[in-house]
Amino acid sequence: MWHSHCLVERICFDPRNPSVREMEEIGFLGLGIMGKAMSMNLLRHGFKLTVWNRTLSRCDELVEHGATIGETPAAVIKKCKYTIAMLSDPAAALSVVFGEDGVLEQIGSGKGYIDMSTVDAETSSKISEAITSKGGSFLEAPVSGSKNLLRMALYEAALPAFDVLGKKSFFLGQVGNGAKMKLVVNMIMGSMMNAFSEGLVLADKSGLNPQTLLDVLDLGAIANPMFKMKGPSMIQSSYSPAFPLKHQQKDMRLALALGDENEVPMPVAAAANEAFKKARGMGLGDLDFSAVHETVSSGKGSS
Amino acid sequence: MAKILMVKASYSNHYLTTAAILSPPNTAISASKAMSMCSSFCPRRPISFRAKPISCFPIKPKFWVHVKAFSSQDSTSPPKDEIPARIGFLGLGIMGSPMAQNLIKAGCDVTVWNRTKSKCDPLISLGATYKSSPEEVAASCDVTFAMLADPESAVDVACGKHGAANGMSSGKGYVDVSTVDGATSKLISTHIKSTGALFLEAPVSGSKKPAEDGQLIFLTAGDKSLYDTAGPLLDIMGKSRFYLGDVGNGAAMKLVVNMIMGSMMASFSEGLLLSEKVGLDPSVLVQVISQGAISAPMYSMKGPSMVQSLYPTAFPLKHQQKDLRLALGLAELVSQPTPIAAAANELYKVAKSRGLSDDDFSAVIEALKVKMEQRS
Repeated sequence: MWHSHCLVERICFDPRNPSVREMEEIGFLGLGIMGKAMSMNLLRHGFKLTVWNRTLSRCDELVEHGATIGETPAAVIKKCKYTIAMLSDPAAALSVVFGEDGVLEQIGSGKGYIDMSTVDAETSSKISEAITSKGGSFLEAPVSGSKNLLRMALYEAALPAFDVLGKKSFFLGQVGNGAKMKLVVNMIMGSMMNAFSEGLVLADKSGLNPQTLLDVLDLGAIANPMFKMKGPSMIQSSYSPAFPLKHQQKDMRLALALGDENEVPMPVAAAANEAFKKARGMGLGDLDFSAVHETVSSGKGSS
Repeated sequence: MAKILMVKASYSNHYLTTAAILSPPNTAISASKAMSMCSSFCPRRPISFRAKPISCFPIKPKFWVHVKAFSSQDSTSPPKDEIPARIGFLGLGIMGSPMAQNLIKAGCDVTVWNRTKSKCDPLISLGATYKSSPEEVAASCDVTFAMLADPESAVDVACGKHGAANGMSSGKGYVDVSTVDGATSKLISTHIKSTGALFLEAPVSGSKKPAEDGQLIFLTAGDKSLYDTAGPLLDIMGKSRFYLGDVGNGAAMKLVVNMIMGSMMASFSEGLLLSEKVGLDPSVLVQVISQGAISAPMYSMKGPSMVQSLYPTAFPLKHQQKDLRLALGLAELVSQPTPIAAAANELYKVAKSRGLSDDDFSAVIEALKVKMEQRS
């Protein structure tokens, strides 16, 4: 059972606004590529943040902009009414909750935990159960680009923060649905990036100008922001990480597992996953996921 | 009663603008004056328009004037040839019919042929002339277009018995807008050019609706002078055109684009089906996609009907599979592995075996569904 709920009117981010005041101190766990950018965004909009990261040095820039450091996830939860988590994978998400000095040591009634990591439904359910059995509120809210997919009672209270972080929110029902939706979207994205790479290389090898291919694509029915943004840098073999390839491959793997559980044939996604695996084997895991282009272009005779 | 002169100017291969210029009756406006009037009123920027409005003037055209002399801004020197007076059109299927109709509505003198004669009737009632073979059409026209479904038909119409090549000669041009492989295109080119005529390969990107709306994208290669001459005609049928050099380049570009498109549609199908099977609403998936980095017009347009298991034909599945097959052939020629395209191609083959050849290519989603009934 589900229902979708489009984002309500934008809330004015005036700290005098009562609902914003209520969110006085927000906790933020995980300051990777996403977490750091999101925290900075919140700080810029007047929220007070207490942050934690496994590598403490990544907190420095945020402290310069007014954030406080929490020594452990538990310390952050203790201090804050609501805590957002942005970890890289299921293992990290679980460790932050269940590990020593973890979230569970301090979570309880009156506190909310919003997990924006991209994980499988089982991990999300595990975390949800543990949090709620201690009396806390849980919200699963993986992000898709600049969008939040979320659910539950925390939705209303958290809206001011979500509004800062994203442009549109979808309310999808029970725990697990947000995670699933995220995985399906990223599966399509991973396959598209592979199809795009195959096309760029074939154009080049056939004696065409890859930039012209970009121009043609931009005019037609398959034009999309990702091709437009990534195309030029891919042609230059430049893959500065916005979304690390290893995380994209993680998402493809999780999506294929979902397909496996539900007996859904996914031959294109399977082929795409193989390409990302190959890219990781080539040492490209920390580059942007567009680096999968190298698995297609690095053949004999390529320019 | 003033006549209105419609001039479409292209400032570069990609950017178009349109101007309507009022002229007193029976005055011939010189092409250069028409162009300079265009320049002063129309901005030099890309304009994409949905229908065929006049972007610079509020006046609606009531009459068309045949422009005898026309200079195209984007050539290095203005061609001495006139705009072609007599246009031929071979092949009046899903694409050919609206393309030919747009030419007629723009005031062109059009002669048509189609294997099934009845498909010519709508064109004839709009004023087209009918000839009973490609040879006769080519012989009676200055520039002849061909829009056939596949390499076999394209070769047959151009080079077969009573084919267009038999009617071609020096001073004429053949513009093949079919989607074929490079080898086929070169074969047709050789036959046509051996008669002294010019050849241009010009496959299009865009399906039924863009064809009707005159919003096609032409990916051309071959004789540059024919490209310049045919330019105004391409501008009637399309929103932009590219000149890509030697014959084979247009075909290759088209195949690359459709290879990406075919893979994208297959992946989208996997996503829709997966979302449904795990308890999500596929319509919500379509909405979520439309908000993000992978939002493409194709997904928004086709998604809703796919969710309903409806596949109204804009681009027949059999043609998408043909394009994938040809693209895989191109990749093989240059020794490039294309695992995603290969996986997608298999799905289209399955869909064809299920009898979905003439449905829209979005019907490929059916290939992922388990077929429950057994045919005896």
